[in-house]
Amino acid sequence: MARSPSLHVAVIGAGIVGAAAAHFLAAAGARVTLLDASGPAAGATGASDGAVSVASKKPGPMMDLARHARAFYGSCEADGLLRGLFHRRSTFLVARTRLEAELVAEHGADLAAAGERVLDVDRPTLLNRIPGLGDGVCFALEIPDDGHALGYEITQRLLQRSAVTVRRNAPVSEIVMRAGQAVGVTIRDELLPADAVLVAAGIGSVGLLGLGDILIPRKGQMVVTDRAAAGRPAIDGHLMAASYLAAKRGIVRDNAHIGLVIDPLVTGQFLIGGSREDHRADQATDAATISAILRDALDLYPPLRQRRVLRTFAGVRTASRDGLPIVGPHPHLGGVTIATGFEGDGICLGPFMGASAARMILGEAPGVDLSMLAPQRFSRAEALA
Amino acid sequence: MTDLAKTDLAKTDLAKTDLAMTELPVLVVGGGPAGVAAAVALAEAGLRVLLIEQRDRLGGAIHRQPAVGAPQIWRGPARHRRNWAELASRLEHVAERIELRTSTVFLGIDGAGRFLFDDRMAGRVFARPVRAAIVAVGAVEKIAPFEGWELPGVMSAGGAQVLLKETGRPPEGPIVVAGSGPLLLAVAAQLARAGNPPLAVLERGRPWHKPKALARLMTAGAPLAEAASYAAVLALKRVPCHVGSEVLGVSETGQGLTIRVRAGSAESLLQARHLLIHDGLEPNRAGIPLPAPGAEVPVLLAGDGREILGADAAILDGQRAASAVLSRLGHAASAAPLEAALSKARNFQLALAEALRSKATPPTPQTMLCRCEGRRYADFAALPADASAREIRLMGRFGLGACQGRFCGPMLAELRGEALPTANPPRWPLRPVSVAALANFSTDETES
Repeated sequence: MARSPSLHVAVIGAGIVGAAAAHFLAAAGARVTLLDASGPAAGATGASDGAVSVASKKPGPMMDLARHARAFYGSCEADGLLRGLFHRRSTFLVARTRLEAELVAEHGADLAAAGERVLDVDRPTLLNRIPGLGDGVCFALEIPDDGHALGYEITQRLLQRSAVTVRRNAPVSEIVMRAGQAVGVTIRDELLPADAVLVAAGIGSVGLLGLGDILIPRKGQMVVTDRAAAGRPAIDGHLMAASYLAAKRGIVRDNAHIGLVIDPLVTGQFLIGGSREDHRADQATDAATISAILRDALDLYPPLRQRRVLRTFAGVRTASRDGLPIVGPHPHLGGVTIATGFEGDGICLGPFMGASAARMILGEAPGVDLSMLAPQRFSRAEALA
Repeated sequence: MTDLAKTDLAKTDLAKTDLAMTELPVLVVGGGPAGVAAAVALAEAGLRVLLIEQRDRLGGAIHRQPAVGAPQIWRGPARHRRNWAELASRLEHVAERIELRTSTVFLGIDGAGRFLFDDRMAGRVFARPVRAAIVAVGAVEKIAPFEGWELPGVMSAGGAQVLLKETGRPPEGPIVVAGSGPLLLAVAAQLARAGNPPLAVLERGRPWHKPKALARLMTAGAPLAEAASYAAVLALKRVPCHVGSEVLGVSETGQGLTIRVRAGSAESLLQARHLLIHDGLEPNRAGIPLPAPGAEVPVLLAGDGREILGADAAILDGQRAASAVLSRLGHAASAAPLEAALSKARNFQLALAEALRSKATPPTPQTMLCRCEGRRYADFAALPADASAREIRLMGRFGLGACQGRFCGPMLAELRGEALPTANPPRWPLRPVSVAALANFSTDETES
């Protein structure tokens, strides 16, 4: 598709991915309408931790993509677009049993093989960095080049710094096709004409594109505490338990499993998560799950005993059947591009993937090979849409 | 034969269900006049009641008692004490059917439908199955924000009243009481009786300009006598009460506060140590989950937490809520003429609101709205007009602090001209809860 100043793109979904795509499309001269059934960051983007983490990624393409995505955050922070919103910070991978230590060591080796810096930390050093850490921690690795960003702040900044028309409370019910080509979208009784459509609607993409067999919701429950420090992170790094790696590497698949992370927010509060509940798309939290998260968190980091829980909340991750995001042109619907299925990695991958989707829509090659994410891969087994 | 068998089977099933259900208590949250009246009415009808009170004893804000060792400076109007004594004696008679849990906080209903409670003494969160719930958690104070209201030395008049009742001692140094509403008079009179009459009472409304509303108030009886007694105390102690007078801003100077006051077009400065502010009451609804009508476990509101009608009406409203629960559960409910009395209280409140109706000067951009997160009016004005609940919370950071929006929520609603969109599903905990206490929750021992 030739770049045209009159190109009008309807972006469906004002999460971090849709906002990034809209921003970079507008920056390239396209006219963009960003539509959301609720509003910016209303879904998983506004209900997640802020880990821009390579350390947490499954070895393989996700680990490599996360390295590109984190570097993209760095360049956006440097060029001013995301200034002040992306912070470098270490991730500590921690083990509390011998078996967990083996898993962490294996994951560390995978990270090193992908080119990531991985540092051994002995217990005295670790206690110096994170005073009060639980007695059970027997092994840890530091991933020093990770970072932190809040999804809703990134979304807000991307929209502030562009001429995108944002329409809240605008649920899209249909993509209107003519002769195999998208010509617009339907919002209630209104037809909004568009030359191209990007579907970045998370779990909302299911109804729009008939992806029920391919995308599944995976609910995560989380806790936010009061402040342990005033206006700075209370501990010097993001604590990621081996139980989280076990879930990400696909070793454990169990709705009752807690993949523990303790995320020190820049406000001085802690965000603690979380559950991984497949096929749960509601945003309710329950005392059994939340208390299990807190028991595990207290075991890993006992000083949390002095904190109070201010909020519990749940986000719904959108996971694809094969565990990889879906980014690229729809195989049958001309002019329709998809960018969803980021599971719990949307904050890390979002700006980079949104920028990549924008390039695809503008007919340019994305900066890196994203062919493994193409929606096409599912249409071999069955008709997509 | 067949029919008879069916009937018997149905009866047995019904009996079983009935037994299981009657073993469950009705939950009453809040041990003020409304909650205690509801609990007593339910227990007198033969039901089990779980009565939850966050303080260490019953009474609510109106019957707040001095802390151990503190002097009782003032016992409140006699009719309130008589009403309370009568409720307390009825409570005694049905005590075996009421499980009272004090120092326990209702945390809300979780996604699995559990009613959650924070036992502050034991440091443990527990859940209890209940067959219905009445939430009677009283009122919250409204504040019309102005520059400097968040400074030390400024506090809500209701908060000061609670402190006065509990400690038996008024704040030291010159005090100004300002805002709007009958509580200004009550607090000022109580301060005067306790030995520190305020420098001035500043009421923003101009009741003398609303003769019709005043005439309606004159028929009120007991509340009018109460107001007259406060006015008499203030007159005796020579406390000046100004109407049509409002605080525009306050700043810290040396040991105290400089308060900028406007009356009509004239501005003046007052010096004081404390500024007590109050702009009326509204039901304490922050986050209270109300299931759809017809839900399996009905949740009803009662007392000032449902509608601000005052302490006399709260007792009746508690009884009304109990009757509604009883009839929902298939019990005979007394058809006392409660609605007429409630309607009289409502007319009084409406007349009062009309008599004092006045518009506060809009906040300046620098005016603090959310103390917890340090968010000002300019931050609020920068949000899109159609911002979602999530945007107001996440991007505005309003309602994200330790008070969970209890304080800034009503202010923002007033400024927006409509209630803030509520979180869906409703959030729990309704109050901050210790990590250790919540970690102590266990589904195996939910019956504490």
